[in-house]
Amino acid sequence: MENKNPLSPHLQIYKWQISSLLSITHRIVGVVNFFSIILICIWTVFIIFGQNNYQIIYNIFNSTFGKFLIISLCWTFSFHILNELRHLIWDAGYGFDLKVAKITGIVALAGSFVLTILFYLLGRSFF
Amino acid sequence: MVQFNLPQNSKIEVGKYFKDKTNSKNLRKVNIYRWDPSTGKNPRVDTFEVDMDNCGPKVLDILFKIKNEIDPSLTFRRSCAHGVCGSCAMNIDGVNGLACIKSHTDIKGDLNIYPLPHLKVVKDLIGDLTTLYKQYESIQPWLKVDQTGQEKTELKQSQKEREKLDGYYECILCACCSTSCPSYWWNGDKYLGPAVLLQAYRWINDSRDGDKKERLKKVADELKLYRCHTIMNCTNSCPKGLNPAKAIGSIKKMLATS
Repeated sequence: MENKNPLSPHLQIYKWQISSLLSITHRIVGVVNFFSIILICIWTVFIIFGQNNYQIIYNIFNSTFGKFLIISLCWTFSFHILNELRHLIWDAGYGFDLKVAKITGIVALAGSFVLTILFYLLGRSFF
Repeated sequence: MVQFNLPQNSKIEVGKYFKDKTNSKNLRKVNIYRWDPSTGKNPRVDTFEVDMDNCGPKVLDILFKIKNEIDPSLTFRRSCAHGVCGSCAMNIDGVNGLACIKSHTDIKGDLNIYPLPHLKVVKDLIGDLTTLYKQYESIQPWLKVDQTGQEKTELKQSQKEREKLDGYYECILCACCSTSCPSYWWNGDKYLGPAVLLQAYRWINDSRDGDKKERLKKVADELKLYRCHTIMNCTNSCPKGLNPAKAIGSIKKMLATS
């Protein structure tokens, strides 16, 4: 017999924890990265076919939206890299302590912004 | 398929408002999830004004005060009132915990009390834990030895071996962790959940047990074990301060290295 009783509320009432927030962000950012890599592949292939193509891409990326997009992607990659490191450490059996997990989480989040700035500075001064 | 919204019959409605009759100056609003199976109506949230000058320090004291003095139909599970039995597990102020050891002074603002998340409600604050108990049974939480019974000898355990169970044997199966886990919300019928996996680890880790390999093999399943994504809501909510996330991580590591 199917239980027709109501389901108690879950997402609606449960308070976000730092750990759960970072976990869902990791997931969303992973999906974003998946699509952005496809975008980057298409973009690089596009450039192979000449200078005019490059101009089109340049115009897109040089717009406000384009700049926002690129810096956002720098952040999504940064965050995913750092948070994935946390997962690697967990897989090795360390860092499960509640305090440690909280600290590494905050470090990963703060570090992702630092890394984004580094990406930006590197990109600017390299070429 | 993951369903983020509550089903139609579970949508929460605004309930009754119980105004204070004691003329107390130290009032606190307590919002409590109510559902009565006999009415056929949707669940609702009732608000009680509670006189805090004459109330004990724990959330369970508030619930008792309401039941005794305001609305005797309020239903909740409790037994020991000392954080040992795990009966009064519920969602307090957005996080799962035991009402008997949670101080209401730690919580600011109105107090919101709901049953444990994503369970079929039996009545008011009581959720149906049948699935969890079945899953607990499935990991065979008892000592398995090769002895036939004739040669019964004492199973000795060194102090060091015994220490390996610290942090795991203390679990009281209150289900705070399992019902805090989003993975368990979406896959509760297949994923074992933190409480049961912590128990599984407790038996895998017991030096006296003779069935370690079989136990590991049994939990090594894409759905049973690997739905854990280290969200760590479990460890955050455990009222006994245990670490189910670490237990699950240890099982995964054992499987990867054995």
